[in-house]
Amino acid sequence: MLSFDLHKRKFLTVFLLLLFAWSLMGVNWREGVMHSSGIGTAAEIFAAMFTPDLSLDILLLAVESSWLTLAYATAGMSLALILALIFGILASGVLSSGKHSRTLMKGSFRGVLGFMRAIHELVWAWLFVASFGLSPYAAIFALAIPYGGILGRIFADMINDVPEEPIKALRATGASRLQCLFYGYLPSVKNSMISYTMYRYECAVRSSAIMSFVGLGGLGYQIQLSLDDLLYDEVWTFLYFLIILVVVIDGWSNMLRRRMAQ
Amino acid sequence: MSEQNIIEINQISKNYERKIALSSLSFVVQKGELIALIGPSGAGKTTLLNLLASILEADSGELLVDGKPMSQFSDQKKRAKKIGIIRQQFDLVGQLAVIHNVLAGRLADWGFFKSLFNLFIPQEKQAATTALKRVGLPDKLYERTSNLSGGEQQRVALARLLMQKPEIILADEPVASLDPARADDVLNMLTKLAKEEQQTVIASLHSVDYARKYFTRLIALKNGEIFFDLPSDQVTDEQLEELYQLKELS
Repeated sequence: MLSFDLHKRKFLTVFLLLLFAWSLMGVNWREGVMHSSGIGTAAEIFAAMFTPDLSLDILLLAVESSWLTLAYATAGMSLALILALIFGILASGVLSSGKHSRTLMKGSFRGVLGFMRAIHELVWAWLFVASFGLSPYAAIFALAIPYGGILGRIFADMINDVPEEPIKALRATGASRLQCLFYGYLPSVKNSMISYTMYRYECAVRSSAIMSFVGLGGLGYQIQLSLDDLLYDEVWTFLYFLIILVVVIDGWSNMLRRRMAQ
Repeated sequence: MSEQNIIEINQISKNYERKIALSSLSFVVQKGELIALIGPSGAGKTTLLNLLASILEADSGELLVDGKPMSQFSDQKKRAKKIGIIRQQFDLVGQLAVIHNVLAGRLADWGFFKSLFNLFIPQEKQAATTALKRVGLPDKLYERTSNLSGGEQQRVALARLLMQKPEIILADEPVASLDPARADDVLNMLTKLAKEEQQTVIASLHSVDYARKYFTRLIALKNGEIFFDLPSDQVTDEQLEELYQLKELS
């Protein structure tokens, strides 16, 4: 069986390589991959990297839009965490007793989580802007739904990977399913849940910046305005603020993880 | 001491696919007995313990606890009052503080909200402290369980059993992953506490020396059958040699 599997894997590798080679034929090499003035523009944009606009107006604007981006991300993430805990625990199936009810529960709630994350946050944003208008709720819900789906799925997998022995031992002491959840499953996965949520929070900040391109305000919106005016210096100011946000969150998550490891 | 049959096993059999794990086993256990199950690997020790713990169900035969068939103990909480289990040290939730692992022994008696509240403000702290004192770990109340050594973790599991107070303790290789000194220590404590609480112990062990030293009755299993069932001071070295002998060449 194993040799057959290996054989299949090699076959797949060759197939994918051939597919890649074939895709290269689709590129029109004669007319160049970039258009003629593209290189000049690219050079300009990268030159501006070293001369970000540091005037007071722009800095204040950057601080304000960073705040907005962070606020959307935080609110969206908090909602996503609540959704993920509820749906993730249900989708892990540890609360159901029978074999059939467990399969049913796992299947249906994993389906719900799949639906939530199958649609990208930008698409949700368009849908919500169309229905709510340009309100913060649109941004928050657009983030919360797909992120809840992703987090929930991962939480469910983490709970399913908890070693069986301690749980069986808890059952043997007479603990109910719900008591097992709080004494066995959740303490075992708490740390991984927190680190993964922090990582997702970082992603949410980036996403929230992008989402503001839809017109919701925030760093992305400012970047778009400056790009339209070809003010690359300003673009870089906003980009640096975005980088700072991500780095700060990363530092915070490292600090949390170190404290948890003690 | 009144003679009371706490466990009666009658002609019990269990097969896995085509392999016979236990073939028509019968014996009676009296309250307060300390029994060691010995025998070579694959003899059926773990299967027997799993039947008693109602993790497995027998194919045929009768298993009575307190004169009642096992099916009357299908309720988890009711069963926990009768039967407690201790295995190797991966039995505890490593990320919880020691006190919570100990208090988990009370979950059968606690409702959901009390057990949830307990995680924030420990309930019955006095009882947990006493239990930990009895197993010799009075100062580790709030330590993370995974930071404890293997022997210490096994003591925490014993403290949990003290909180659970089952009438019967099933121990499946309770010292399998401990060094000799720790193993001695844990078995000594297990049998001492069981005597104090008048509990019945059935333990599977791979070491005959420990079995003879700490237990009053040895039941030897070989190929799913009882090879001998004797008070531990009547077991001879010849019998043990024969028990662990590899299949004779014919």
